[in-house]
Formats: sequence, structure tokens, C-alpha cells
Amino acid sequence: MSEQPGEPLLPTGVEVSFADIEAALSGHLSDETKRAAGMALTATIVVAGPSPRLKEAAKALSELTDVGVRTVLISYGDNPDPAVRVSRQTVSLEGLPPQYLNNAVAALRLSSLPTLVWWRGGNVDTLKGLAALSDRLVLDAEDPREVWASVESLAELTAVSDLRWTRLTRWRALMCHFFDIAEVCAAASGFRQLRIEGADLDAARLFAGWLASALKWGEGVRPDLREKPDASPVDLVVLGDGTQELTLRLDGNHTCVESAARVHGLAAASRIVSLGDQGLAALLGEELRIRSRDLAFERAVAASKGFV
Amino acid sequence: MSSNPLQDGLRLEPTPGPTTLVIFGASGDLTRRKLLPALYKLSRGQRLPARFSVIGVSRDAMGDDGFRTLFRESLREFADVKGVPGEDAVAKSLAERMHYVSGDFNDPALFERVSAALQGINSEGGALFYLAIPPGAYANVIERLGAAGLSKAASPEQWRRVIVEKPFGTDLDTARELNQIVHRHFDEAQVFRIDHYLGKETVQNLLVFRFANGMFEPIWNRRYIDHVQITAAETVGVEQRARYYEGAGALRDMVQNHLMQLLSLVAMEPPIAFTADGVRDRKMDALLSIQPLVDESSGTTQVVRAQYAAGWVAGAEVPGYREEPGVSPASTTETFVALRMQLDSWRWAGVPFYLRTGKRLPKRTTEIAIQLRRPPLEIFKRVSPTSVAPNLLIINVQPDEGISVRFEAKLPGTRMQLAPVMMNFRYGTAFGGSVPEAYETLLLDAMLGDPTLFARHDFVEASWSLITPVHDAWSTEQAAAIPTYEAGEWAPAEADALMARDGRRWRTL
Repeated sequence: MSEQPGEPLLPTGVEVSFADIEAALSGHLSDETKRAAGMALTATIVVAGPSPRLKEAAKALSELTDVGVRTVLISYGDNPDPAVRVSRQTVSLEGLPPQYLNNAVAALRLSSLPTLVWWRGGNVDTLKGLAALSDRLVLDAEDPREVWASVESLAELTAVSDLRWTRLTRWRALMCHFFDIAEVCAAASGFRQLRIEGADLDAARLFAGWLASALKWGEGVRPDLREKPDASPVDLVVLGDGTQELTLRLDGNHTCVESAARVHGLAAASRIVSLGDQGLAALLGEELRIRSRDLAFERAVAASKGFV
Repeated sequence: MSSNPLQDGLRLEPTPGPTTLVIFGASGDLTRRKLLPALYKLSRGQRLPARFSVIGVSRDAMGDDGFRTLFRESLREFADVKGVPGEDAVAKSLAERMHYVSGDFNDPALFERVSAALQGINSEGGALFYLAIPPGAYANVIERLGAAGLSKAASPEQWRRVIVEKPFGTDLDTARELNQIVHRHFDEAQVFRIDHYLGKETVQNLLVFRFANGMFEPIWNRRYIDHVQITAAETVGVEQRARYYEGAGALRDMVQNHLMQLLSLVAMEPPIAFTADGVRDRKMDALLSIQPLVDESSGTTQVVRAQYAAGWVAGAEVPGYREEPGVSPASTTETFVALRMQLDSWRWAGVPFYLRTGKRLPKRTTEIAIQLRRPPLEIFKRVSPTSVAPNLLIINVQPDEGISVRFEAKLPGTRMQLAPVMMNFRYGTAFGGSVPEAYETLLLDAMLGDPTLFARHDFVEASWSLITPVHDAWSTEQAAAIPTYEAGEWAPAEADALMARDGRRWRTL
């Protein structure tokens, strides 16, 4: 056999150093291939909602790379024999009558692993059947007021949360960090003035409800909630008593929050911290890590009812 | 419930109270490579407290601005994150809280200046002193911290803690002496002896694997396990560390700390609860059950040492250890060591633990391999042409973190033919997201006052009490008596013989 001079032994290969062979071999697998091949399935995520909101959810789930999940996407309709499509660990059912939601979920959920239901709106009456089949129910309705009225009864069936609540996690943590400072904690017992600005008044209400329940404000506190249509869901939080205040303010890029405390006896304390990834996939990833009932959320919802 | 009324139900893990981190050795390699990038990542993840600052201390004259520049440069070089670390808002905000004090560690005035800086920056919070300095300077800095009144907490919020890097001593006497100096000024609860292996995800997962699952613990004993092999192999040579390594060697550098920690996690009894002392007490029991490595009557050891000779590693010719810059041509320092350990306990009686570690080996890998006993009866011997391989449980510590199980399966076909197959769990693919660096986990734990993943004084001393007699036995040997292995090969024949005497052999990795 004649030898072709200059022709490498492996013409389709790429040249790497010996030390980089292992890295190059694993690098040949695309992220998607690796994910499909190796990720451990840890849960079923069921997304139920009106068709336009399902597309956004499907895109978000495709970006969920932290954990391996089976995904079931169900849009509402009136077809008892809906169109079914399957791709790897994703199943879609388009146009299912809402009364059959729980039947579909019962058949498609992974056995022995948790089921998270991401509810993107619809008839609240169908939720109970779905809640009974789920280990976690994550609410995400455009207008949450009706479903928040049912949180107490739903919480008897499963752990309940809301993506608005998830979005507030970092804001809550930043407010909480102020209270680790002894001077702030002492002064803040008298703080009753709360101003929240942002595009999502329901999120603002929930944040106010959280503070009211955690700080045990009782009746009579009226938070100043201001809608800013073109802003982020939450843009500014100011808690104080008129002369002292704790401020959380979103920066211009909407990626960081500046937190500042102005409290008597405390040198000015401010810092800038990352708000983290606020995308739907990241928020859902956070919900997947939690297994227990979220009593703080339930109390926040209950307390927020008075803040219209 | 926390005293912070907003902590209840918060999903993010708790953050420490107001803290100042004081880094001695602020311009050093460890600070640039590990500590500053870890602080930045913790800050990005909102894990640092609202009142947090850093005071860098070293001999170099650079000032606050110089230290902040060094911080940004270290992020660009060593922080493995997307974007341009060092230039984002989080880095800028963190840099503003970095301060610098220069001076000689032998000068008491330096510690007065550190004390004044602490008072000025965060007088009401805690202070964590990180000794990122050469081990020979530990005692001096600790004494001076104590003399300056920096080791005592004025209130629970104004806690004072110290992190000491390995190596903690060079033998039993020096470790005891250092512990005495430390305890003269700091209570044990204030002392965090770091072993970065304990910050690795897989090492922590070992506790979860054993004690959060019901199916492994029943077979985790002498009835089912034949032997355990722990390997920590490096491809690198002595690099720029010849001065340190000549006085240390593989036994001090790797076995006394990292491998003893791994062994104790494998061998420990279940703790009653996942508490710092609950875990560390049981690890200590395991260590105390290890029989001496030197036979008192004959003076023989269960330890093989060797030095690498010239060879070919990672695609390049490399010199032998004695030809490395800074190494004596007559050096007796071991670059490879293999040990046979016997634990006298109900759980492990008769189950040998084999440990090996070395430089210039063919692969960089750290793993724990637990080989189970063969089935009592080989019923397939007549029908299958291949013999049955014993079951293996492999815990990969690095680089490919995960757990694998080897078991026998029938090959598809009309014949009853058996073959070993691997069932793999890999952190890198089973879960997405990034795994925190060991230093992120350990720095945060020290700020939170959780010593679970740090070495206690008695563990360090018990480990040295096993190792020191081996060094004593070796001290009489001449350089010519030390076996060599070719760089890029697995082990000298003497290490193979250590296992062959028991009818076993090292795994080929």
C-alpha cells in the first residue's frame, strides 16, 4: 500500500497538544449531545397554560441546563385527541381540554421522581386535580389575584410557590442582609414606611406582604406601591421611618442592585451585588432545588391581600 | 429560628455576619490564584455579607490601589467566569472594600496597624485571619496576632478566627508545638486548618453517598469489601516548589493530609448527626484504628517510596527529580509513595487500605476504589469463557468528579458470556451549572464558623503520629537505596510487590 506523504493519520481530526487530548475528546461532544447522553433525570416538569404562553415556556425549558428533566408541555383547547409531539425528553400536547389535564399528567410523569407543575394561567378550578398529582406547584399567571386567593387550599395538597416570588429571592436576600447588621436590626423595628417601584405591582404587593408578615407589622401600614410601566418588575425598594432608610435600587443595566443603608450610628454602608440570572429558566431551576413547603410565601400572599 | 426576622424561609443559604477578611501573604500566589477569585465568585452569588471588607497584608509596598489592581488582575487571569471579570460592577464594588497594610511580619508595629485598620473598617464585625504565608512564618504571625490582642473576641459578633494552610507542621513534634502556640492565643473553635480536598464536591458527596442512602452502608464492611485503593496521581513534577518539596516529599505533602482525610471519610462510622464534631469525632476514630506503619521489633515499614527518573509525560521529555532545578543530586526525597494500611476495627478488620500518590505519573487523577469480594460461588465458570471480575465502586475525586460501579452483565447473544460494564454518575454531566471551587466553600464555611470541613488539632496530630515513624525509619537510608520509576510510568516494582504479597494488584488507571 502506498503512503500519502503529508496526509495525516486522522484527516478529520484537529491538532491538539498531548496534554489536551482528554479535554479535546470531551469537547467534541456538543453540550446538547452531552446533556442528552449523560444528564440524570431528576424530575418531571409539567407546563400548563394558554398556547401563546407555552411557547415562551418551551424556550425557557430548552435553556434549563442545570438538571435533567422530562418536560410535558400542555396547551389548553377543546380537542380530546390533541396533537402529540415528542423530542428526546420533551412531550407536547396541543389543545387538551383542561378537565383532562390531570389524566395526561398522571400518565406522563416519571415514576419515583418529583413532579413540578408550572401553571401559566387558566381556570383555577382545574388546579386542584393538578396540585394533587404534583410535588410542587409553581404559579405564574399574568394576573395572579384569583389564584392567590386559592393558595391556602392548594397548599393543603402540595407545596405552592409563584415565579413572582422566585424573582424576589435576591431582593429579599439583600433586604435580609441589612438585618444582619446590629444597628440596622435595632433601628428597623420602627420602620413602617415602604415604597416599592416597578412594572409589576403584584410583585411589589408580594414583597410588601413578605415584609409585613416577617416583621409582624399588623394593621395600619400602607405601603406606597408605584407602577413604572417600562421598568423591571421591581426597580426600587425603600424601607424606612422618614429619617433613616434602607434602599435597594436596580442599576441601569438591570443586572445589579445597589444596596445602601442610612441608619443612625452606622457608617454609610453601600454595595453593588449581582441580581443573578432572572430568566425563566434560572427561576425554574431555583424552584427545582426546593422540595419543602414555602410557608414564607404563603404568609406573604396572605399578608399582601390588604395591599391593593 | 434565626434572630434575623427576614431570614426565615429565605431560599439562599445564610450569609455570614459583618466580616473582615485579613489575608497575610496578600501578594502571594495562593491569594492571586485562589482566594481573590473565590471572593469574587462568592460576591457574585450574593454569599458575602452586606458589611464585608478585605485587608491585605504583605511585605510588598503597594497601597490600597495596588492591592485593588492586583485583585482585578487576578480575576482576569484566574476567575473562570464569562465576561470580563475585574471590570464588572460586582468586582468594582468589591474592590472598593479592599484595603492594604504593608510591613514585616516580624515587626510588632505591623500588627498594630492591622488592628487600627480593623477598627477603622469594621469595628463591630468579625475578623478572619488567613495565613497564606510560608509555613515557617505561621508561629510568628500567630504569636504576634495574640500579642496585639487580635485573637480575642470582644463580643460574639466580633469573633476572631484564623485559617491555617497546610502543611501543619513537618512531623509530630512540630505539629504539636504549632498547636500549642495556636492554642495559646486561639481556642480550637477559632482555628480552621484548611485541606482543600475537603472542599471538593465529590469528597463532601462521599458523606451523602454513604449516609443519605440505605443501600450502600449495609455492604460497607469487611463482610463484603475485599480492599480499598486510594490513588492521587499527578503528571506534574516538582515545578517551582523544589525548595519546599525537598524538605517535604510525597508522604508529608499528600498522605499526611489529603489521603488521610479521604481514608477517614471512607472508613468512618456513621455520625449521629451532621455536625462538625459529630463528623470529626468519627473521622478521628477511624484514624486511631490504623495500625502503626512501622513494625517496632523489625523496623520494617508497610510503605514503599520512590523517586522519578527522566521519562516522557504529557507528550514531552522530562528530567528526573534529581536533575530538577533546586534539587540536590543526592536527594533522598520521595516523589512517590505507596502504603498498606490496616484498620483494627469491627468494620474493617482484615480489609487492607492501599494508598499511593506520586508526581510524574501517566495521568492526573484522584480516586477511591472499593473492591468488593467475589461471589461465594462462580456458577458461570463452566458456561462462560471469561472469569468474573469483582465488583468495584469507584469514587472519582478529580478531574472527572463522579461515582462509577462496575458489575458483570451478560453479553447479548445465544452464548452465556459475561463482561464487566460500568454504570457511571458524573457531576459534570448529571447536573449542569458550575461546581463551586473548594476555596469558595471553605472560605464561606470559615466566615460562618462551621469547621466541619476543616482538620481538627487531634486529627492532625494523629495523622503525624502515623507518618513520623516512617520518616524516622527512612532517615538512615542512603539515596542509592531509593527505588526510581521512569517518569510517565505507573509505579516502581516495589509498589507492585507491596500488593502482590497480599495476592492483589494496583488498578491500572
